[in-house]
Amino acid sequence: MDLQYKEGINNGRIGGVKRTDLALRLLALVLTLTAAVVLGVNKQTTTVAITLSPSLPPVKLPVTAKWHYMSAFVYFVIVNAVACAYTALSLVLTLATKGGKKNVSSMVVIFDLLMVVLLFSAIGATGAVGLIGYEGNSHVEWQKVCHVLDKFCHRVMTAMGLSFIGSVAYLLLIVFAVINAYKRL
Amino acid sequence: MSSFDAIIPTQANAVKSSGSPPEYKSSTKKFEVFDAALRVLLFATALVAIIVMATSKQTKVFTLLPGMTVLVVAKFDQSPAFIYFVAALSVACLYSIITVVLSILASMKKGGDTSNLHFYFMMFDVLLLGIVASATSAAGGVAYIGLKGNSHTGWAKICNVYGSFCFHVAASIVLSLISSITLLLLVWLSIYVLFKKITRR
Repeated sequence: MDLQYKEGINNGRIGGVKRTDLALRLLALVLTLTAAVVLGVNKQTTTVAITLSPSLPPVKLPVTAKWHYMSAFVYFVIVNAVACAYTALSLVLTLATKGGKKNVSSMVVIFDLLMVVLLFSAIGATGAVGLIGYEGNSHVEWQKVCHVLDKFCHRVMTAMGLSFIGSVAYLLLIVFAVINAYKRL
Repeated sequence: MSSFDAIIPTQANAVKSSGSPPEYKSSTKKFEVFDAALRVLLFATALVAIIVMATSKQTKVFTLLPGMTVLVVAKFDQSPAFIYFVAALSVACLYSIITVVLSILASMKKGGDTSNLHFYFMMFDVLLLGIVASATSAAGGVAYIGLKGNSHTGWAKICNVYGSFCFHVAASIVLSLISSITLLLLVWLSIYVLFKKITRR
């Protein structure tokens, strides 16, 4: 078993780590970083025209939306930042140990799973809150805000989409790790 | 499907594993029991979370003018996030029933090779973990707005009025958090057993 493993060391590997593993980790790093940044600098100021009475011209009120006004968005940015930092750390670790140490690779799989859970939950929360902002909720009298703050909502959706692809990358990392482990069984 | 047959150990490997020492067999038996127990816990928490969320309806009477009363109802299906929550947990409940039955049947088979089954279980477990985590979080996000309100968007809090509804929703979210932790432990257990089998050889 050991001899077979040593023969396949340069087979589809860069520096001892599998090519797909490396590519997925880089993709996840870039995507989570971008998602955190896109939502972290999200800000929009527009004006809303309100007619107080028919005789007077409509009054323009400034409306500001910042990302930290909503707790779900704060959670999203934090989770994506943590995922990005963890990916950088795991990239460094797997390249440093050349994919050889069993302890490091099993710990990396365990924490990859944690990242999947956190990222999926962040996307779910942002999606739910974004949906309320998009459609409102007539039963509880929560008005929709996306018809006024359209650029803000578009950036939220972009960040969500990027983070979703990043979390799928983490999922694939776990799937490939398990498949490779079964191949060696 | 044929590519999976190449990955998953064939009958030849199963013959190798059936000749393993008794302490290895008893430790895998322990893990199988723990696995089945976690799946039963998953079923229980998912079921109770669904029931608590579905029975959370609360009706409040408001008097606008003396003599004119209005009934306002708070139900879980007024919010798409709670509907998604109930749907995702129903899927988790059904999945846990199927896997408990299958894993008990597989462990009763004498000299059988259960690696095939555990591989598929692990894949679906990870997928379901993502779904249940996102459902918990979506319901949690909406419930947090209902609890605290949001002054920037003008969304008023409702938990000061509908206390019992909010309590049901909170209890349901805590239960689904427990079920997602159970799923996480299940996948970690499967990964641990798998890596132990590798280092043993």
